[in-house]
Amino acid sequence: MLVNRRTALKQVLVVSAGLALLPSCLRKTTPASITLKNIAVDGEGENMLALLADTLIPTTSTPGAKDVKAHLFALTMVDDCFKKDDQQKWLTGMKAFSALSEKNNGKSFGDSTPEARKTLLELLEKSKPEDGEAAYFYHATKRLIVQGYTNSEYYLTKVQVYELVPGRFYGSVPVKPAGRKTA
Amino acid sequence: MANINTGAQDRTFDAIVIGSGISGGWAAKEFTEKGLKTLVLERGRDVKHLKDYPTTNMYPWEFKHRGQIPEAIKEEAPVVSRCYAFKEDAMHFFVKDKEHPYEQDKPFDWIRGYQVGGKSLLWARQTQRWSDYDFEGPARDGFAVDWPIRYADIAPWYSYVEKFVGISGNKDGLDNLPDGEFLPAMEMTAVEKYFQGFVSKNYKDRNVIYGRCAHLSEPQPIHIEQGRVKCQKRNLCQRGCPFGGYFSSNSSTLPWAEKTGNLTLRPDAVVHSIIYDEQKGKATGVRVVDAKTKETTEYYARVIFVNAAAINSNLILLNSTSSRFPQGLGNDSGVLGKYFAFHNYRATIYADYDGFMDVTTEGRRPTSAYIPRFRNVKKQETDFLRGYAAGFDTGRRKWNSQDGVGTSLKDQLFNEEMGNWYVGSHMMGETIPKEISQLTLDKAKKDEWGMPVIHINLGYDDNDEKMIKDFHEQMTEMYTKAGFTNIRTGDSKQAPGLDIHEMGGARMGKDPKTSVLNKWNQMHDVKNVFVTDGACMTSTSTQNPSLTYMALTARAVDYAVGQMKRGDL
Repeated sequence: MLVNRRTALKQVLVVSAGLALLPSCLRKTTPASITLKNIAVDGEGENMLALLADTLIPTTSTPGAKDVKAHLFALTMVDDCFKKDDQQKWLTGMKAFSALSEKNNGKSFGDSTPEARKTLLELLEKSKPEDGEAAYFYHATKRLIVQGYTNSEYYLTKVQVYELVPGRFYGSVPVKPAGRKTA
Repeated sequence: MANINTGAQDRTFDAIVIGSGISGGWAAKEFTEKGLKTLVLERGRDVKHLKDYPTTNMYPWEFKHRGQIPEAIKEEAPVVSRCYAFKEDAMHFFVKDKEHPYEQDKPFDWIRGYQVGGKSLLWARQTQRWSDYDFEGPARDGFAVDWPIRYADIAPWYSYVEKFVGISGNKDGLDNLPDGEFLPAMEMTAVEKYFQGFVSKNYKDRNVIYGRCAHLSEPQPIHIEQGRVKCQKRNLCQRGCPFGGYFSSNSSTLPWAEKTGNLTLRPDAVVHSIIYDEQKGKATGVRVVDAKTKETTEYYARVIFVNAAAINSNLILLNSTSSRFPQGLGNDSGVLGKYFAFHNYRATIYADYDGFMDVTTEGRRPTSAYIPRFRNVKKQETDFLRGYAAGFDTGRRKWNSQDGVGTSLKDQLFNEEMGNWYVGSHMMGETIPKEISQLTLDKAKKDEWGMPVIHINLGYDDNDEKMIKDFHEQMTEMYTKAGFTNIRTGDSKQAPGLDIHEMGGARMGKDPKTSVLNKWNQMHDVKNVFVTDGACMTSTSTQNPSLTYMALTARAVDYAVGQMKRGDL
């Protein structure tokens, strides 16, 4: 059953990355806001990543992933810490992701409604990284955005406080029921 | 070097120490305290305590890659990139592969720290004493040569260095791992204490203890006097500690030596060779190549201590040729560079534990528990020689689920979940020094300082493979009986070298025909040259070796100064 569902899901995710190329050729491109050495991502790509970050971890009463610039962290990591092959896979996946949005929503990811963006991510959430180009891109990017968010100054000072100087170690303390934090 | 044109008199000292790492720092402290004008030569740059720890107070988000090493650096430096401590916060303290090439006849990951303080900034700070079961190993089991010393020779010197260094530990009363001068131990976790009790109840000769480590858990006046204060349990030791909470040359021995007024420290000084005077029948000084200008200078002294770290100490001695010593200084025996060995760190074993679900740990701890060697300690009982010690570490699993999209994901990232306990152990195996395990010089190939490139020929043998198998079997049995579940054994297959415990090449021994150094770490053939770093080791046993280097160094300096006073040196 699971296998069939996965096969079906994979078919849904298959798009031709070439589809995404056409519109961008007709537009004037702006550079990304940070200097990239190895990957070609322009301002438009950066905006899409920012929206992706915001859809994944939205701004609520507390800052979201876009507010802490987790999308720029993701870009930096792909640019500096990915192997060449993985950088290419990620870039191809990024185009496939754009194309998937056009295919499913009839619009670019940026022009889609917040609900449509979330629906697209929820679809990809069901996939595995090996299920296709867009799926690879989604999972790699999500991992980096979560890493960027949970390692941000905001998160480590307000949510899960990082102590530079703990000054203590206790080997056995009672587990206290923690009250739920409002995200 | 500014004094290149000054007279020989200005380049003459009582003692020269080659290297400023953990053993060189001790040589410097001991000589200068005893009133000898001492020159310490360090091939790397200067690193001053507090001032030169650029990342020490950085928060995780201040690291561009959150600690990860960029791919361009990994590609350029694959060897050092395999080291566990080579991360964004400490990479400035490691040698990158390209900067200092060497030849690997078999894969060997040579991890180096070329700077004042050397690898004492980066070490894992475990400090276990040797016992006679270790010193008697080669004689009993018929490999290498007999150690010329026993525990009684070094015991007072262990105490001497431990008091100054500051060692946190428990008096465990084990004859295979003698107690030392301890500051209070840090806490063991609930699961570690449980396993400790379980093992001592179910196994006659096996123990789980708190690993003795060079951390100031409760500083004494001697530590305060060094300018060091209590360990703050930051677990960021590899960055250099602003509290001096753990021992390094930079925080302890070197500033102490400097205060005496007898220390001259010269960074960027690559020692090319030791000068031997045939008329005098002894070494008279060293040739130094300036790391930056490549200019050569000679320095002179009555006594020379070689503490360049095991491989480089061998390199310097092998490169110190003369008509008297065509095969390297003090190498009448022909064993210099041979019988090189290391610690086998390939094997790991992880598991889960579902007990103690009502408790957890709090804070951070820069050390772990330790399982002293229990195999073949008192008699031969397996089909392999010697044995292994093991690190042992546990903790409660905590994580944030990363499933989902949107506010549900965010909610999970805000609210940590707690799982069961993880249990982990890694093997520290003794390896057998063999004649074929050796360091040689490639005379045809020179580095940019004119030093011949060193060949390293070192590998695993059948004894090592059997030991890995035994570690997995014994630990699996202990884990299973203790009720640990989901047991996973691992073999990293890592190359020798990543243990950063390379030893031997200029081994100690009783007989000048089969060893390079006598029982005082003094060259049999050149009485005013001493080697007290890893190069002197006759066998490796299982303990983390730095404490032994420190004790041997202090002991050798005491002997050398005594000889100098008597006019014998």
